[in-house]
Amino acid sequence: MKNRVRERRLHATLSQAELGDALGVSRQTINSIETGRYVPSLPLAIALARFFDSTVEDMFEPAAEERTR
Amino acid sequence: MTDTIRRGHRGAAAAVLLVGGVAVAVATWANGQYGWAIAALGIYAALAAGAFVWAGRRTDVGALLRVDGDERQRGLDRDATAITGLVLSLAAVIGAVIQIGRTGNPGVYGLFCVIAGAAYTASPLVLRRHR
Repeated sequence: MKNRVRERRLHATLSQAELGDALGVSRQTINSIETGRYVPSLPLAIALARFFDSTVEDMFEPAAEERTR
Repeated sequence: MTDTIRRGHRGAAAAVLLVGGVAVAVATWANGQYGWAIAALGIYAALAAGAFVWAGRRTDVGALLRVDGDERQRGLDRDATAITGLVLSLAAVIGAVIQIGRTGNPGVYGLFCVIAGAAYTASPLVLRRHR
C-alpha cells in the first residue's frame, strides 16, 4: 500500500510527533505508516485524510498486486 | 472516531511484577527458604523498578508496559501475546513427548497441552461474537 502521508506532512511542515499528537497516535505509528510497514485501520485512514483535507483514495493507493485481489 | 490511544498507567507492569514478587517470596518463605525469599523479593523489585523506568519512555515497549498505546501498538501486543502462547504450547508439547519417553506419562506437560488446546478451541467461539 503506497501513501502520501509523508509528502502531505512535510508540505504542512509537521514532524511525525506533531502529526501523531494531532491524530492521537504515536510517532512510531506515523513512521510505520509513512514507510509502508503498517497499514492503518479505516478510522485512522479517514482521520489522516480529513486532517490533510483530502480523501482516503487520494492519501492511500493499493499496490498493483493488491488491486488485483 | 479513530479509537486511538488507550490511556494506561506507568506503574502497571511494575505493579504486576511487585505483586508476583511478593507471591513468590511468600511461597518461598512458607517453604522455609528465607534467604531465597528475600532474594526473590529483591530481584522482582529491581525488575519492577526497571519496568517503571522503561514505561516512562515514549517507545513501543514503553507503551506496552503502560498497558496503553494506539491501534498499531495494541496490534503488537496482540501478536506478541499470540507468539508467546504458541511458544509455550510448543514447549508443553515437547515436554510432554520427552516425559512420555522417560516415564510413560506426560505429567504436568500433558495438562498444559490440554489447557492450550482447550483455550485455542474456545477462543474463536468467544471472539466471533465481537467480529
